[in-house]
Amino acid sequence: MSNLVLYQLVALTLLAAGLFGIMKRRSLVGMLIAVELMLNGAGLSIVAAAQLTEANATLGQLGTLFVMGLAAAEATLVLSIIVVVFRRFGSAKTGEITTLKE
Amino acid sequence: MEIMGKIAFAVYTVVILAGALVAVGSSSLVRALVGLITTLVGVAGMYMLLNSPFMAFMQLLIYVGAVSVLIFFAVMLTRADASGEEGKPASIRKHLYALLGAASPAVILGWALMTRPVESISTPTEVGLNALGHELLGSYFLPFEIISAVLMIAMSGAVLLAWERRGRK
Repeated sequence: MSNLVLYQLVALTLLAAGLFGIMKRRSLVGMLIAVELMLNGAGLSIVAAAQLTEANATLGQLGTLFVMGLAAAEATLVLSIIVVVFRRFGSAKTGEITTLKE
Repeated sequence: MEIMGKIAFAVYTVVILAGALVAVGSSSLVRALVGLITTLVGVAGMYMLLNSPFMAFMQLLIYVGAVSVLIFFAVMLTRADASGEEGKPASIRKHLYALLGAASPAVILGWALMTRPVESISTPTEVGLNALGHELLGSYFLPFEIISAVLMIAMSGAVLLAWERRGRK
């Protein structure tokens, strides 16, 4: 196996762990943690693909930098959304804030 | 890869896997957050192995420094008690469904990765900080400016969402 495949397998594991977490967790904060795992896997995959092939390495690193910036913005917004949901429903669990089924 | 590089890769992989396992498996949200931070540090080590120290620095600064503190605030503001926010563990059926849903894309992507390997060079390319800065203010100037606007809008939007008017409690 080449080096690139090893790095991509680690990134793939992070993606699978994040997907598993986002489906298993029953609180919004736990789902946020799982999303951060998936974003990290994406960043690792992009940097590995840019550094270990003939592709433009600068583009790969800057792309991951932008992914990190977007992740920070996303975490900020999700935090405030969680606060609003908690204030309105008194809970941040996904089972208790479902109103469509009632 | 030299032998030391292989050892370092194995160590970082173990750190990442252990952290991810705790992050998705722990019933206490604070422990899950500690697992997430472990994973983030492991990914920073991977960036160092990939010969991109700037990315490792940014990973520590942005993720470990800022995002994890934000998630910790989320845990605190939603009043996670000592036993953990999750409460009783999810049912076996839910675990099974989640495992199935996570495994199917992973298996497809892993199959594609194994059957169509891409040629890789053995030593990572080195990109100096100078080159990164020049590109950031050169070809990629527009995304650089847009991301600052996005961060600004996200921050003010968060303040607006969580704003509590006085006397309306």
